[in-house]
Amino acid sequence: MTTASAPPATHAIEVRDLHKSFGDLEVLSGIDFTVGHGEVVCVIGPSGSGKSTLLRCVNRLEEPTSGQIFIEGEDITHPDADVDALRSRIGMVFQSFNLFPHLSVLRNLTLAQKRVKKRPKPEAIEVAKRNLDRVGLSDKIDAFPAHLSGGQQQRVAIARALSMDPDMMLFDEPTSALDPELVGEVLEVMRKLVDEGMTMMVVTHEMGFAREVADRVVFMDGGVVVEEGPPEQILADPQHERTRRFLQMVL
Amino acid sequence: MTKRQRQRLVRGALYAVFVLVVLVVSLVADWPRIQHSFFNLEIAAEMFPRVVTVAARNTLLYTFLAFTFGLGLGLLLALMRLSTIGPYRWFARIYIEIFRGLPALLTIFLVGFGLPIAFGVRWNILVYITLGLGLVSAAYMAETIRAGIEGVPKGQMEAARSLGMSYSRAMMSVVIPQGFRIVIPPLTNELVLLIKDTSLLFVLGTTATTMELLKYGRDLLNQRFNPTPLIVVGLVYLAITVPMTQLVGVLERRNQRAR
Repeated sequence: MTTASAPPATHAIEVRDLHKSFGDLEVLSGIDFTVGHGEVVCVIGPSGSGKSTLLRCVNRLEEPTSGQIFIEGEDITHPDADVDALRSRIGMVFQSFNLFPHLSVLRNLTLAQKRVKKRPKPEAIEVAKRNLDRVGLSDKIDAFPAHLSGGQQQRVAIARALSMDPDMMLFDEPTSALDPELVGEVLEVMRKLVDEGMTMMVVTHEMGFAREVADRVVFMDGGVVVEEGPPEQILADPQHERTRRFLQMVL
Repeated sequence: MTKRQRQRLVRGALYAVFVLVVLVVSLVADWPRIQHSFFNLEIAAEMFPRVVTVAARNTLLYTFLAFTFGLGLGLLLALMRLSTIGPYRWFARIYIEIFRGLPALLTIFLVGFGLPIAFGVRWNILVYITLGLGLVSAAYMAETIRAGIEGVPKGQMEAARSLGMSYSRAMMSVVIPQGFRIVIPPLTNELVLLIKDTSLLFVLGTTATTMELLKYGRDLLNQRFNPTPLIVVGLVYLAITVPMTQLVGVLERRNQRAR
């Protein structure tokens, strides 16, 4: 982590007074939230607390109802914001992997590189191979998603996001759909990214992972940030009753 | 009588009825006459090779033209149906309702005679054929394709967008290819319907070189005053359609397994 005396000029992600409603249901009720450059922030909370919606607002897969979101200082809620260009700089990993089932692993990794980044094919393939190697699946380059285990699919999904050379990564409960014995291999890949200094926002139920790698843990409930702080404080000595109750249930 | 005995009696009676009907029919029927009228080998032999080289060939050509046109227009209509722009959605909806609700023959008349009368156009007959059949099948295919596109999980679009692809790029590269895999069986059914609907095209006044199967059969029926040509033509239709419906079954089973 950077020292307090040299704060980055802007945050990687900055959310100001974010509200989001689905019809009459307000899911986010005024969120203020930041992720610094190179910081790893884990967002925890009960289901329905709005944590996934917050994450999905950050690359505008959900349209905020009101409030502002800045990515590296750029207001992405502005009507003129180029959302496609923005998304190509933010890697996203989904709970349900969402690999393209009709394409091989290699083409899953090269499609957006070629179509969005306009990389020539040889370069795209080279980048894809490098990232498959990072997640330890070089031998699956020609396989189709249906032939991979859940853990392997999620690692390919991470490699696909990395192939766009993102400035930051969003993880939306990346291990929640996995059989317990497959969780470890995905967390291991994520741990590697942390070590490489990737900026990460992780919505997760893996408290052990949060304690181990997060710079900061944010606890959400009922559409608001209840409390946040270093993992050892939030997970071991929470100040709020709601946080305590939640942690008692999951730990 | 026990229940079991009664069941056996009923079963025996049903067999007896069947045998009786077959016997009566085979005794009463005028077999030489039936053979002469419907299975006249001499007339059937005369039909080859023209029934294949001209009639069947034209049937397949018209089917191909109408299917290609209908598929393109159907895809366009399906995308309009899913558009966020209201007028596109409404247009596609109205189009689909109209052309699914009208008899195909009316559309063929409208295109083949309505357009020339109204605008004085004299297009090649292939154009009338393509439009007359294609406009209708596009309406059916649009609904099929729309269902296919909607059958692709939402996460696919989200994953593609999260990689920076535009909506149309994501549609083209990710959603539509998967949607088509879902709709191949129903589209093949659509193709079979279209093959049969080419038999309506005789109303456009197809000639000796442009006639399709049914027109060919009907002309010979009149010339020879014998229904054998209709049977031959029917067998040719079946030779085309039965393998296709079988194929649909195979594809559907394979799709189910892929899930």
